[in-house]
Amino acid sequence: MSIILLLILAAIIGYLVLTYNRLIGQIETIHNNQKQIDIQLDRRFKVFESLINVVKKYMDYEQTTLKDVVALRNQAQVAHAAGDETKRIEAENKISSIASNLNLVFEAYPDLKANQNAIQLQEEIVSTENKLAFAKQSYNDSIEMYNANKKSFPVNMVVSAFASKLDMNFPYWQLSQEKVAEQESYTVKL
Amino acid sequence: MTNHLDEYSQTGADWRAALRRNNHRTYIIIGLFFLIYCGIGLLVDMYLYASAYPRATLPDLFKALITFQLFPVVTMIMLIIAAVSLLISYALYDKLMLLGTEYHEITPETARNNDELRLYHVVEEMKIAAGLRYMPRVFIIDANYMNAFASGYSEKSAMVAITRGLMEKLNRDELQAVMAHELSHVRHLDIKLTLTASLLANLSIMVLDILFYNMIFSSRSGENRSRNSLAAIIMVLRYLLPIINVLLLLYLSRTREMMADAGAVELTRSNEPLATALIKIHDDHVEHREEYSADYQHTLHETVRREAYIFDPLEAGIQDTTSINDLFSTHPSLKARLKALGFNKKL
Repeated sequence: MSIILLLILAAIIGYLVLTYNRLIGQIETIHNNQKQIDIQLDRRFKVFESLINVVKKYMDYEQTTLKDVVALRNQAQVAHAAGDETKRIEAENKISSIASNLNLVFEAYPDLKANQNAIQLQEEIVSTENKLAFAKQSYNDSIEMYNANKKSFPVNMVVSAFASKLDMNFPYWQLSQEKVAEQESYTVKL
Repeated sequence: MTNHLDEYSQTGADWRAALRRNNHRTYIIIGLFFLIYCGIGLLVDMYLYASAYPRATLPDLFKALITFQLFPVVTMIMLIIAAVSLLISYALYDKLMLLGTEYHEITPETARNNDELRLYHVVEEMKIAAGLRYMPRVFIIDANYMNAFASGYSEKSAMVAITRGLMEKLNRDELQAVMAHELSHVRHLDIKLTLTASLLANLSIMVLDILFYNMIFSSRSGENRSRNSLAAIIMVLRYLLPIINVLLLLYLSRTREMMADAGAVELTRSNEPLATALIKIHDDHVEHREEYSADYQHTLHETVRREAYIFDPLEAGIQDTTSINDLFSTHPSLKARLKALGFNKKL
């Protein structure tokens, strides 16, 4: 009889340990994915710098664009240091819109279009924008997995027992309401 | 781009449900393989103990073995053999996969043209989407046919290889979908899984064969009742087990392909590129059937990769006439895959 009780106790403790460790693993995955977004933002800025350096040789218009990107990046970093995520996202989004302008510039300059470096950097830009999007997607996916696990029964009981370590609240990466409204009413002007 | 899908009507594709369903199937199949393997081991044990205890009936022996009143020596030895050979094959398998092909590795520094750089970027993007911690190695196989496969026992040793034909004929989105399919194989640990299953299958057949010939050449104990009924079971199993194993392996492989397709939708959040890529690859194979058929046969050790390819050449009627395995495809049909992706062929 006592052996059976002991076995049941061991099973419960085993379950607790496994659940605890899994949740910790999921929380750390979210942290890592969040940093991945930062890495991609940083990388994008570097790609931009080298692209603009190549483009600069062909036209002086880019002199000002270079300044814009650097200024926006500084804004984003100041906002990030101050913990103002909305301002930071705003600045990073503005850099994105400069990217699409650059592609238009490419079309207008045949010399530039033929430049091997420029072609490679153009591919680099496409890839970096994609990586940024996928990093955000991956971040949201890891939050989904953690939330679904955390809220399910009987895991939620374990979570409430160790709330300070296991009960985190991660916001999904999303656009603000105004931004969504703005994007929705946006039409392409040709 | 969509003209490839003109003949199809679109419905929704629920990748979450597809992943869950196929995951359950995998558990059942792997469980079955394990049970069959242990079952064969117990059969040998019963056969051996039957001569030591001539009056015991089969159910008695079976009961004694699984409650460890009699120690199942052979079953234990077989499990150890399986574990050791799995470890060995894990160590050697990666080198095997590229056997017989002409290939080279791509890195951002060694990319020879924009296509190769793009391919590397696409894999990198999918690695981020999949949240893998290590960048898989990327290989190009110098061949005109369109195909790709993934290999590796863990995220760390993972690699993807695609043919030059595939890289050049697909657009960026389609390439991304194909690479997402391959990285899903890596993420789902499919290579490990299918190899484990086929190793268990082959070992169980080998043991059964040894038992069978041992039984034939030592047919002296005519009066042992339980041995005689065991002999009948062994006889039947010898012809039945290979068929069961092949069917289970094929089912497993198809299940994992469906999961990788669903995984590709999960990573790219779009079902259309994968669908058009599959149709393009299929049409291309049909169009160049003669040429590719020669190419595939010309490449040595093609069977090693067949299961791992994104597209089974058999689907386009290209087959290696020397192998009986080719009667069955390792992949679900194009129609079934497109249907799972949410595209039904219009009548």
